[in-house]
Amino acid sequence: MTALLVTLIVLTLIKSTPIIYAALGGVISERSGVINIGLEGMMAAGAFVAVAVSFATHSPVAGVLAGIAAGACFGYLLAFASTRFKVDQIVAGTGINLICAGGAAYGLVVLFNQPGASPQVASLGTRYWIMIAGAFVIALFLQWLLYRTPWGLRIRASGENPSAVVSAGLDPLLLRTYAVVISGALAGLGGAFLSIGELNLYSDGMTAGRGFIALAAVIFGRWNPLGATAACVVFGFFEALQYVLQGEVAWLPANALQALPYIAALIALAGVTGRVRAPAADGVPF
Amino acid sequence: MKRTLTGPVGAIVLIVVLMALAMLVAGVSPVDGFRALIVGALGGRNEIGETLVATTALLFPALGICLAFRAGLFNIGAEGQLLVGALCAGAIGAVLTIPGPFGIIVLLVAGAIGGGAWGAIAGWMKARFGANEIIATLMLNFVAAYFALELVSGPLRGPLAAGAETAWLDPKYWLPTLLPGTRLSIALVLAAVLAVFLQWVFTRTVFGYDLRASGEAPEAARRSGINIAKLTWLALTLSGAIAGLGGATIVTGELHRFNTQLSPGYGFTAIAVALVGDLQPLWICLAAFGFGILESGGLAMQASAQVPKDAIHVIEGLIIFVLAARRYVATRVEGGPV
Amino acid sequence: MIGREEPALSLRGIRKTFPGVVAVDGVDLELYPGEIQALVGENGAGKSTLAAIAFGELQPDDGEVIARGAVGLVHQHFELIGRLRVWQNVLLGREPRRGWQIDAAAARARVLEIAARYGLEIDPDAFVETLPIGVQQRVELLRELDREPAVLLLDEPTAALAPAEIERFFTTIVQLAQHGTAIMIVTHKLQEVIAYANRVTVMRHGKIVARALTRETSVEAIARAMVGGEVPAVVERAATQLVPTLHVKDLVAGSGATQLNNFFLDVRGGEIVGIAGVEGNGQTTLADALTGMCEYTGVIERRGTLGVIPQDRHLEALVMNWSLVDNALLGRQHRKAARRGLTLDRERARHDTQNIRERFDVRAASLDVAVRTLSGGNQQKLVVGRALIDGPDLVLAYNPTRGIDIGAGALVQSRLMEARNRGAAVLLISFELDEILALADHVIVMYRGAVLGSFDRAQFDRAEIGRMMAGSQ
Repeated sequence: MTALLVTLIVLTLIKSTPIIYAALGGVISERSGVINIGLEGMMAAGAFVAVAVSFATHSPVAGVLAGIAAGACFGYLLAFASTRFKVDQIVAGTGINLICAGGAAYGLVVLFNQPGASPQVASLGTRYWIMIAGAFVIALFLQWLLYRTPWGLRIRASGENPSAVVSAGLDPLLLRTYAVVISGALAGLGGAFLSIGELNLYSDGMTAGRGFIALAAVIFGRWNPLGATAACVVFGFFEALQYVLQGEVAWLPANALQALPYIAALIALAGVTGRVRAPAADGVPF
Repeated sequence: MKRTLTGPVGAIVLIVVLMALAMLVAGVSPVDGFRALIVGALGGRNEIGETLVATTALLFPALGICLAFRAGLFNIGAEGQLLVGALCAGAIGAVLTIPGPFGIIVLLVAGAIGGGAWGAIAGWMKARFGANEIIATLMLNFVAAYFALELVSGPLRGPLAAGAETAWLDPKYWLPTLLPGTRLSIALVLAAVLAVFLQWVFTRTVFGYDLRASGEAPEAARRSGINIAKLTWLALTLSGAIAGLGGATIVTGELHRFNTQLSPGYGFTAIAVALVGDLQPLWICLAAFGFGILESGGLAMQASAQVPKDAIHVIEGLIIFVLAARRYVATRVEGGPV
Repeated sequence: MIGREEPALSLRGIRKTFPGVVAVDGVDLELYPGEIQALVGENGAGKSTLAAIAFGELQPDDGEVIARGAVGLVHQHFELIGRLRVWQNVLLGREPRRGWQIDAAAARARVLEIAARYGLEIDPDAFVETLPIGVQQRVELLRELDREPAVLLLDEPTAALAPAEIERFFTTIVQLAQHGTAIMIVTHKLQEVIAYANRVTVMRHGKIVARALTRETSVEAIARAMVGGEVPAVVERAATQLVPTLHVKDLVAGSGATQLNNFFLDVRGGEIVGIAGVEGNGQTTLADALTGMCEYTGVIERRGTLGVIPQDRHLEALVMNWSLVDNALLGRQHRKAARRGLTLDRERARHDTQNIRERFDVRAASLDVAVRTLSGGNQQKLVVGRALIDGPDLVLAYNPTRGIDIGAGALVQSRLMEARNRGAAVLLISFELDEILALADHVIVMYRGAVLGSFDRAQFDRAEIGRMMAGSQ
């Protein structure tokens, strides 16, 4: 029983980590006024690029860094499109999801000549604990950044009323660009954890909607980093629970159980929306 | 004139240009690449049949998505709705024992009800709690996929099935073939009729007017006496029903059984189809044909010209981007009071 | 004083065009330290564009802006962030720091210090959204004052203030001017121009058409210069038979500062009842309750049909991308007469729209152009026409002339008066006391969601009503 509980806790931490990174990205982006529907795609980009670079350099650390950079690039693409070209944020995010998922699948064929999944590459191994701890450290850091520093105040102001930010002599579009790039970097980091932290390869569809679960966590966590982190741990718990139950309780429907984290996210979404208030200019182009 | 330049035709031209670029990047002459694509998609009776099969499979969810988008609701769960519709048709079709024509109608209705119910969950969540429909519909895709897998791995699995699929439908429940010698069924005609019908609904009916008003200006719509909650619920339900109907036509017209692999992401590609079609049902028909060519020709292109088929998804994403940006540029150029 | 010193702000040959319109057409303007200059003009005359150019928010196509020192701008629609505290709003972008963090204590002290310097009361830790409009404006003003501007531009600063607050506001402004700040007020309230400004500049169609010292001119003369002729008259009030139409009793709705508390009123056919009050005292909740847009308890009894002119034409009344025909149908699309079975009667809709276009003088290239291409005045005339075309028994008009030019405003007021004269009951909610006094047969003063007093036309007392609007009984 104790062993089972320990497994459950460890698995919860492992399963929460990628969602936490993505959700933190979601928080900072939405606090600045941009809804990042593209988190899912940015995670996929991070996951794939991390594997590709780890494959090429045999250095998983380089892979993680490259994953961060890949996410940041797509973050910049979203920021650029939504701030300079006023592309609808939802449409742009959907585009990014298609580009990243398609691009990774294309990349598997071009780089490894094997569709579906990459070969195994050098992974972080036991060092992935650093990334798990890092998720919580970054959550604390972002909480401090948003609520204690001038830059955080300005980011929050951009998400509430960008015209007021202009009146204060600042450029809300620039602030949003920074926030969305950071958002992409964090999602890329979450993706890298998925591919070369927890595992050692990239396979098509491995992000499995985690970017969207992260968006639900942002809402559930009331748009603040620690709240979103807590929500991710809840969703991570359900994912872990499903694994543990699958192994332990034979009569449970194994495939249906896999839907557990998504159902949890749906219930959280329905239960909490309406009782929380999004940033006033969240998703509103400026 | 302006309409043609900035409208869907421009988008299709753009796709061709982007694809040519993708081929160049992959080190393939666009001439060879397009030849492979066109021959693969339109080179013979069978190829044309397969292209139109893909067109049909894309057209249903795209029309469903179009209806939701027109109401301002971002339904990205067409994939799940299509799957649930197909599952309902497949599950019932495997055990049905009534005369053929009625049976077909029952299966199509079952698909529409299944997909509609799946859409209705998101609609209810949005109307009742204000839950974000983007996240809800996407989550429901996964729930649908896992539940379908569970069901066809166990209780609904056909006795002779090799994988996770239901038993085959009795041939009397197969949709009549449209193009003899191919897998193309009259589902294509059904989809086209549906597109015309939707066009009529949008432009002529009170419901269509209310739907468009809610999408364009929700607050003004609410104040004009439209019950937004009811409309939200109804729009997502109908949107899901159309996608579900599409799923049922895949089962009755193409595969003749339900299989968890039955959609290679039609519900997602359909988002691009709907957007490229400028959310206008008749243009969407054209866009679906274009993407149908890519879907069926893409495999041939991959085999003979070494351009991976997945490049198409990258192009879809880019197209969505460029289209949205172009709309902004067009409104800027047209001007108007600032 | 004027003329001897260097101007704090000079605009030379300013020209600015937007696609299809020349907003500002070769304007020269100088503003001196210590003066209060009023810039007046109709909507669309170019005064807001000029203010934005002076502030540096817009770049002119031609001409130059020379400012000696910082330029501050207090917006008509406050640029504040409701969910942040007062000090966070005031010092956004100039936050005092301690290391990497914001020094909140220093920030509070700094806000209190500026506030004290100008005799403004403020709680630096209050969340802005919890403050009344008048205090919010103080926050907006403090933000500009913190930058110690040499030039201060005020865009319609008193639009949302009660008469008493207006006086208090100008006390601060006059004090600022005495300290040497150059002040320009963009406004349409001509009484205030005469009372507080030294100089007035009038714009029409992007050009300056008159300049005067306020002690040498009058409200009437300024108005004539603004319109470029005589101000159009409103239709006369006719004798009517009064028929009970709307009865409201014990109405409770909304929450917070705009909650209605046992609100009551009666409107009879053949009269205009005006709701006088400062913005944010529950008028919106009242309008929402009457139109079924929010939940309420209490009695609302209405006889006959309702025509509504919503407060915000962009957000609540029009679909900007739609044609005149489609917009003219909005809110009327569910009537039996508008449909043929499941479909809309397009011919009838066109016919109705043409009717509105003619009777309400909606100037548009055709019935099929998008309403976003229309001027604000023409958009509003369409909204008003739509509300009145079916001859409703009750008309709810919420700020029906806000933000439109005088000619369009006079037409709207005339049509409302005609509706009254033919026997309709008209409920007029307006933040412009002058509009209410001009049109209403009966005035109800609304304060914090309750009825504070009511007056028949014979007993109208502007000063008394003004005091009540600020809450004194």
